[in-house]
Amino acid sequence: MEEKPFKALAKSSGHRGSGKSSPHDIRNLWTTATLSQPKLNVPLPTVREDSELEGSSVGGKTRWSYNQKAGHDSDGGWEESDDGEDKDNFKPEELDEHALMELEMRRGSSLGGPLEEDDSKTDSEKPSSVSSLNISKHTPHRAYWVEQQSRLPLPLTELMENEALEILTKALRSYRSEIGRDHFLTKQLQRYIEGLKRRRNKRLQVKVI
Amino acid sequence: MKLKQGSFLWYLYLDKLYCLLSVRNVKALVQYFHLLDVHRKKTLNDVLFYHFLHHVTDLKRNQITIVFNMLDWNAVGEIGFDQFYMLVCILLAQENHLEEQFIFRHSRPVFELLDLDGELKIGPSNFHMYNFLFNIKKQQLRDLYHDFDITGDCRLNYKEFKLFTIFSMDKYQESQKAVKEEKESSAQK
Repeated sequence: MEEKPFKALAKSSGHRGSGKSSPHDIRNLWTTATLSQPKLNVPLPTVREDSELEGSSVGGKTRWSYNQKAGHDSDGGWEESDDGEDKDNFKPEELDEHALMELEMRRGSSLGGPLEEDDSKTDSEKPSSVSSLNISKHTPHRAYWVEQQSRLPLPLTELMENEALEILTKALRSYRSEIGRDHFLTKQLQRYIEGLKRRRNKRLQVKVI
Repeated sequence: MKLKQGSFLWYLYLDKLYCLLSVRNVKALVQYFHLLDVHRKKTLNDVLFYHFLHHVTDLKRNQITIVFNMLDWNAVGEIGFDQFYMLVCILLAQENHLEEQFIFRHSRPVFELLDLDGELKIGPSNFHMYNFLFNIKKQQLRDLYHDFDITGDCRLNYKEFKLFTIFSMDKYQESQKAVKEEKESSAQK
């Protein structure tokens, strides 16, 4: 779990840095600089809405708005962003991941906690890899609570499959009594149920191990 | 009508303002529908539909048949995901006591569901048939036809029905407000 955000950052930084070395350095400084800021002006709910609902193109726009504001707040220098190119280079999943990662960073810094304390000691000189590791400590927990707040139980697939199995087993009895055992629909349903049971048993075996 | 506690649908919930499922819930529902779509036709036939509804609710056989006929608006003998989604929203609205809000927010689709014959008018028998789904009480039905049958033909067209939904919604909100004020005053005491 901790590797994923690090990899995402590494990937994204690789993509962003492709062909241009100085923006890459500036972006790293920007990334660590924002960690030192306890509160940011970025409105979290609207940004999250954009990145979740509208996909990669707005995910790119989201990053653009981050960059603009951060640029204005810190250096005020670079208003141009490489997002226009990066949108083409990025895959949608990476962009969304990155947008979410940045969101998690802001939440961590705005809510305070160990992340903020670390930043007060060493600010812009902290390497991005270390900061991303710190972030990754908090990301899994936050994702867990977000999942909890959605009110869907975590072993959702298991619940759905078990319920579907019960329903389909009863349906199979009706099929057999109404259209007979040899009907192709009955056989198809039977094969499907057997496939579901095999999948469930495999999953149970994995759990036991 | 009650949803079976601990069933998959029991864990879903409607947005209280728009009475629709969230994207996350719809995604889970799509997966669930896919699991039940045994014959890979992106539909549920009447047998699968019956066993599904029988498993997750306390509806009787004749009620399930009525619901199936209501949703099978193309008369193909199968229910697609659109109709399935509509049904789940209706079930959740009833489970969470959001019937008035649901009918108000989705008056057009509800009217079209009740208008079985396609005559663009619904009579008392239409309401009575689906009473177990939309929970419209007898007194409410009488008031409905007394107050909103403007044309006087003992049937409601869409505009008259819409007026009824607005009126019910206002009444519902007033009752909610009264309940809230009562709670606050008893808490203060």
